[in-house]
Amino acid sequence: AKMPVVHEHSERMKKFKNKGKDTAALRRQRVEVNIELRKAKKDEQILKRRSISIVSLEKSPSPAEEKNTVSIAPLSLEEIVEAVNGSNTSLQLQATQAARRILSRQKDPPLNQIIELGIIPRLVEFLSRTDNATLQFEAAWALTNIASGTSEHTRAVVEGGAIPAFISLLSSPHMHISEQSVWALGNIAGDGPLYRDALINCNVIPPLLALVSPVGFLRNITWTLSNLCRNKNPYPPLQAVRQLLPVITCLLEHKDKDIVSDSCWAVSYLTDGSNDRIQIVVDTGILPRLVELMGSPEMIIMTPALRAIGNVVTGTDEQTQAAIDAGVLPVLPLLLRHTKPAIQKEAAWALSNIAAGPCQQIQQLITCGLLQPLVELLDKGDFKAQKEAVWAVANLTTGGTVEQVVELVQSGVLKPLLNLLLAKDSKTILVILDSISNLFLAAEKLGETERLCLLVEELDGLEKIEALQTHDNNMVYRAALNIIEKYFSGEVRELLLLLI
Amino acid sequence: MFVTDCRREFYDVIVSQRVLLLVASDVDALCACKILQALFQCDHVQYTLVPVSGWQELETAFLEHKDQFKYFVFINCGANVDLLEILQPEEDTYFFVCDSHRPINVVNVYNETQVKLLVKQGDDLDVPAYDDIFRDEEDEEELSEDESDGSEPSDKRRRFEEEVIERTARRRQRREWEARRREILFDYEQYEYHGTSSAMVMFDLAWIMSKDLNDMLWWAIVGLTDQWVQDKITQMKYVTDIGVLQRHVSRHNHRNEDEENSLSIDCMRIAFEYDLRLALYQHWSLYESLCNTSYTSANLKLWSVQGQKRLQEFLADMGLPLKQVKQKFNSMDMSLKENLREMIEESANKFGMKDLRVQTFSIHFGFKNKFLASDIVYATASLMESIEKEGPETTNFIKALDSLSRGNLDKLHQGLDLAKKQLCAIQQTVASCICTNLVISQGPFLYCSLMEGMPDVKLFSKPVSLCLLSKYLLKSFVCSTKNKRCKLLPLIMAAPMDVEQGTVIMVGIPPETESSDKKNFFGRAFEKAADSTNSRTLHNHFDMSIIELKTEDRSKFLDALISLLS
Repeated sequence: AKMPVVHEHSERMKKFKNKGKDTAALRRQRVEVNIELRKAKKDEQILKRRSISIVSLEKSPSPAEEKNTVSIAPLSLEEIVEAVNGSNTSLQLQATQAARRILSRQKDPPLNQIIELGIIPRLVEFLSRTDNATLQFEAAWALTNIASGTSEHTRAVVEGGAIPAFISLLSSPHMHISEQSVWALGNIAGDGPLYRDALINCNVIPPLLALVSPVGFLRNITWTLSNLCRNKNPYPPLQAVRQLLPVITCLLEHKDKDIVSDSCWAVSYLTDGSNDRIQIVVDTGILPRLVELMGSPEMIIMTPALRAIGNVVTGTDEQTQAAIDAGVLPVLPLLLRHTKPAIQKEAAWALSNIAAGPCQQIQQLITCGLLQPLVELLDKGDFKAQKEAVWAVANLTTGGTVEQVVELVQSGVLKPLLNLLLAKDSKTILVILDSISNLFLAAEKLGETERLCLLVEELDGLEKIEALQTHDNNMVYRAALNIIEKYFSGEVRELLLLLI
Repeated sequence: MFVTDCRREFYDVIVSQRVLLLVASDVDALCACKILQALFQCDHVQYTLVPVSGWQELETAFLEHKDQFKYFVFINCGANVDLLEILQPEEDTYFFVCDSHRPINVVNVYNETQVKLLVKQGDDLDVPAYDDIFRDEEDEEELSEDESDGSEPSDKRRRFEEEVIERTARRRQRREWEARRREILFDYEQYEYHGTSSAMVMFDLAWIMSKDLNDMLWWAIVGLTDQWVQDKITQMKYVTDIGVLQRHVSRHNHRNEDEENSLSIDCMRIAFEYDLRLALYQHWSLYESLCNTSYTSANLKLWSVQGQKRLQEFLADMGLPLKQVKQKFNSMDMSLKENLREMIEESANKFGMKDLRVQTFSIHFGFKNKFLASDIVYATASLMESIEKEGPETTNFIKALDSLSRGNLDKLHQGLDLAKKQLCAIQQTVASCICTNLVISQGPFLYCSLMEGMPDVKLFSKPVSLCLLSKYLLKSFVCSTKNKRCKLLPLIMAAPMDVEQGTVIMVGIPPETESSDKKNFFGRAFEKAADSTNSRTLHNHFDMSIIELKTEDRSKFLDALISLLS
């Protein structure tokens, strides 16, 4: 027997029955927002010049540091300079280690001050001390952390001659040293196209690719490889891309999700460009794998895979068709209905680009059942996603056949579309008005103008379009006026005639 | 947050606003409501009163009114759950909560903007420290650093000192903190109990604003007495609060004896009394009151033949003729009444009833109406839970509220009649439960279930009546049983609630011991048992220890409770 009232309520009551749980869940939401904020803050911090007095350097060592350095008294910056420049090897090591410790503490590492000590060239020198692996490692770590700062900090490392030194360390017999070098090179490559290409010109790729093996530090390598694919203006040299792509394709098959994620990001960088760049990626035949990864439950994989496929469908009709053939359409509904607004938006963006294709591709889109999720998104999605969905509608009504447009209307697109006329964003409103005009053009061809008029009016659309005639934006005003004059003034005229 | 200056932070804020009053269905709440209404009347505050009997009604009332009101006053409801969570108010909505339910939900305590708690200062609350239960988000961000959100990887990365070790250390720290938090919250939320009466809190407000009237003082007294009659507070707390009110009583009622004779018909006088703990005896016969008062009935074991004999002996010891004792108290010989209290107390001592006299207050209206505070409590509670159906749901509430006004003597008398019926019904049910061994020991608690078809069973589908019955039954059971272990057990009582829907109402009460702290752990236990068995329960009542349960789920629910509490 059922007990609808009580049961239903007890469900609801659970909300405060497990209060503890729920506040935790709430907090998680809040934290998620915070992470973004924090990331932004962190970036800001990195960009900010740090000025910390030497006094504050000596105190507040991190807890871990305290544990490890009980025997060694912390060195002052003066002592570090002296020892690093001196000839006593054990003091050199001690000082390098001290510098590395300061640079790797959690809070406010004094990058500028360390750079101002002028010890970078000396640290670079230490990189080649094959007789002293510990010193090599400590110096590599310290330089890695300096290079992790702003462009200025990275430049200090590069100008200290670190690029060739790190590249030759890639083939160090000590795994931890070559890993540290990979990391340092990643930081240098991540600075921008200039240093990325400097590394490529120094032939970083072959020794780096040689490190790719089932054992070892694949995560760091993958990340560094992805940085070599990253950034535009200019893009990485085609020759380099051709060298990197086969390895990245392999890495996409790895079982570690961080490795797959970074590989996907690499592909997304490579596809974020002109059609010939996209073509190189398409030619590797990795689109099916990317589509598969788009459906991954892991956000860190799904996001870059979707980004990459999204980039591909901005390409030529053939390239888009390759993505469709790889099975992108059946995966999209899931993503359009995803809980994360960013995913919804990205998926809607991809959809809008597919909808911009020839009517055969639009037909495939319809056949794969994408109209329904599109309408849902228009109705209830995140606003940024709604904007993309509006574009999808506009593209579909522009390039679709009359039958296809009819099918779109039958899917219930009008109501949410008209509702979005209340949006604050003029560009979106214009795109919607454009779509509406397209719908009327199709209706005219079918001789159904009056039915569409009626439909628009029933859905309170006329009211909204009329209201737009007072819109601040001139283009919006004109577009709205145009629709009214063209399709809705007949009645008024009749009325006026009646009155006379 | 706690309101420290009730006048400035509460009254002055709402006095210029439209206010929605949400009032729970208990006598203390009604009394607090009367005081606030009187203040509102005098300052022409616009308000709407909505009675709420449980969380469902409270939520519905809020949803219905949230668009018209920004200021909500909760009386005897709302303190013990996270209001922001269940009601999801807009940011410009304010909740003022005057509620004796404890423990107060920690979010309510630490919300600085929307939830304002009106609590008697000095009440023992033991709220956990903020830092023990909430963590600043900054701390959490770092910890959730590696939580994957799909954003683009950083272009540069620094290698931290002993990254992994540090991270696991932090994670461990966090786990420890969370475990400690759970423990602290568990300790804090484990027991339900009651704080200072809401009527007294409202009276305090009237007093600091110098707007307190004798009527308000009386309502405060009735509110406190309700807590005592319902066994919500300890004897100690009762006596302390009586002391507080006594000072106000002497301030308000300092007329000398001569003037008392010249009392007019519409004047009232409150007096401190050291009176008998016999329910309604001045409006009943002494005999009936003795039989239907839990204290005397349990101590004399009136459900048995020997008990009846003891009652006769008791009356004989006092030297009161049966005929006199059985007649209306009002009509008893004046000569007998003169030293009645002393006589009864003396004999009661001999029969092991050392606490027959209690500190309380009485009120005189005009020439002939005299009531004890407990009379009013019984009458009002009975009106509130009357099972005679008339008019809409709120009729009982309004009637009970009205009966508290001096001008409504007829309603009060109606309430007294109902109360007598209720007490008789309780007494009879107690007797039959004990005589037919319906109270069963389940190990960690006693259990008694009323069957459909028992006389008056309908009356006990109401929470206050069922609680009263449970308390009387447990007292009697403790007096009747020889099993020493059983004497220390709490009691769970179930009664049919809605036959058509197949539901029972269930209440758990703490053990009946001399030094009882009146703290009740059944609320949490019920939640856990319901969760673990997926029983269809409804935690609708403001007291967490009262639930509604689908009859079919009762046995698995009880099994879970037994294993939980063993």
